[in-house]
Amino acid sequence: MTRNSRSSWGWILLLVGRLALSGLFIFAAYAKMKPQGGLPWSLASVRTSLSMFAMGVDSYQMLPQRAVSPFAHWLPPFELLLGLWLLTGVALRVSSLVATLAIFAFVAAMFSAYERGLTISCGCFGPGEQIGPITLVRDGLLFLPLALAVTISAFLIHRGSSADSITGPAPTPFRSE
Amino acid sequence: MNRHLHSGLGKNLAAVIVLSMLGLGVASRAVSQTTQSPAKATKPATVAVKKATSTNAGQTLIAPVKVYGSKSAPITFEVFSDYECPSCRNLYENTLRPLINDYVASGKVYLVHRDFPLPMHKYGYEAARWANASARVGEFQSVEAALYDNQASWSADGNIAKYVSAAMSPAEFQRVQKLMQGCEATASASTHSPQTVNVAQVNRACALDAFIDEDRELGNRIPVKATPTYVITYKGQHLPAGSGIVSWPILKQFFDSLLAQ
Repeated sequence: MTRNSRSSWGWILLLVGRLALSGLFIFAAYAKMKPQGGLPWSLASVRTSLSMFAMGVDSYQMLPQRAVSPFAHWLPPFELLLGLWLLTGVALRVSSLVATLAIFAFVAAMFSAYERGLTISCGCFGPGEQIGPITLVRDGLLFLPLALAVTISAFLIHRGSSADSITGPAPTPFRSE
Repeated sequence: MNRHLHSGLGKNLAAVIVLSMLGLGVASRAVSQTTQSPAKATKPATVAVKKATSTNAGQTLIAPVKVYGSKSAPITFEVFSDYECPSCRNLYENTLRPLINDYVASGKVYLVHRDFPLPMHKYGYEAARWANASARVGEFQSVEAALYDNQASWSADGNIAKYVSAAMSPAEFQRVQKLMQGCEATASASTHSPQTVNVAQVNRACALDAFIDEDRELGNRIPVKATPTYVITYKGQHLPAGSGIVSWPILKQFFDSLLAQ
């Protein structure tokens, strides 16, 4: 395999990882904001869903009460914007780093709740999914490594590109005719 | 040499990404299954309790009424709880009390109590029996308050009757004691696991058990995995069940958003 084909594979895999991470955040935002209980799509029903998400955030018992509602109303739009940002690929090192930190914070909160014996909804993809071994493994051992891999790859590929631009492309081998 | 190092690292990272993708695909299926199941499971909780009856020494007992407010309220808030559960006590004292005084009193919310005693709580089931017996004489609300207010005391020594009697008149307590005949001997949490779905299998020596287990059956269909768990119904539509403690301001905000639909 030549150096160029290896580099291509790296770019392709980074693209796949970025798209998967983007999809994850967009889906998470959608699941939190979509109308519940058969309500039709409207600003009021989205507000209701966000209020319901606030109840889930409150059950973690980690934030001061006055911070729960602002956080719950801010987080899903943030996830949506982050997902879209990842989709564009613009400033990928920054967006993937933000995504990694966000997932890390979520996983830490889930572990904290589980360790305190709270049998509550995870809230990761909307209501109804309890915190337990499955959600902890899924988020901690799948989503977090994915985000880390995308972040590290983005930094390495950027570094590789920067090195190329300084030293020039690798010389082609001499061919006798 | 640096380029070789980078390409080696790149290969390893690429492998991690590919494996993560595969795992993500599997996880996504699991997520979609788990997020679907609550919607399927949250069918239940239509209030059939009032029509249920149970027989005790030849008398037919109509189901005890364990509700607050008007059934015509637009929002129904069903709470599955265990009287010996500290989180349930926390919910009752800090959230349900202001809810009752405000939104239940003003006709916005219909609050329904559902018994879901847990096997790890030694006196939880017995407390539920006392509450059901008290409901039969119309003293459910005062007894529920007494049970939660004094949870630390009676959960230590099992002396529930002391607090029940203090919450009502002597005449009413006599009636409650009569309803509790046959219940004291079988008051054991270990004989009533939350997985008991078939009400017919329950020990019928205590007629009140039928009502407690009917509530548990409803809870198992949701399914309730911990207490407190609550189900909110708005205009006939069940919303996904929630569990754990929720503070009154946050719950109030949610109710307001529902009422603003």
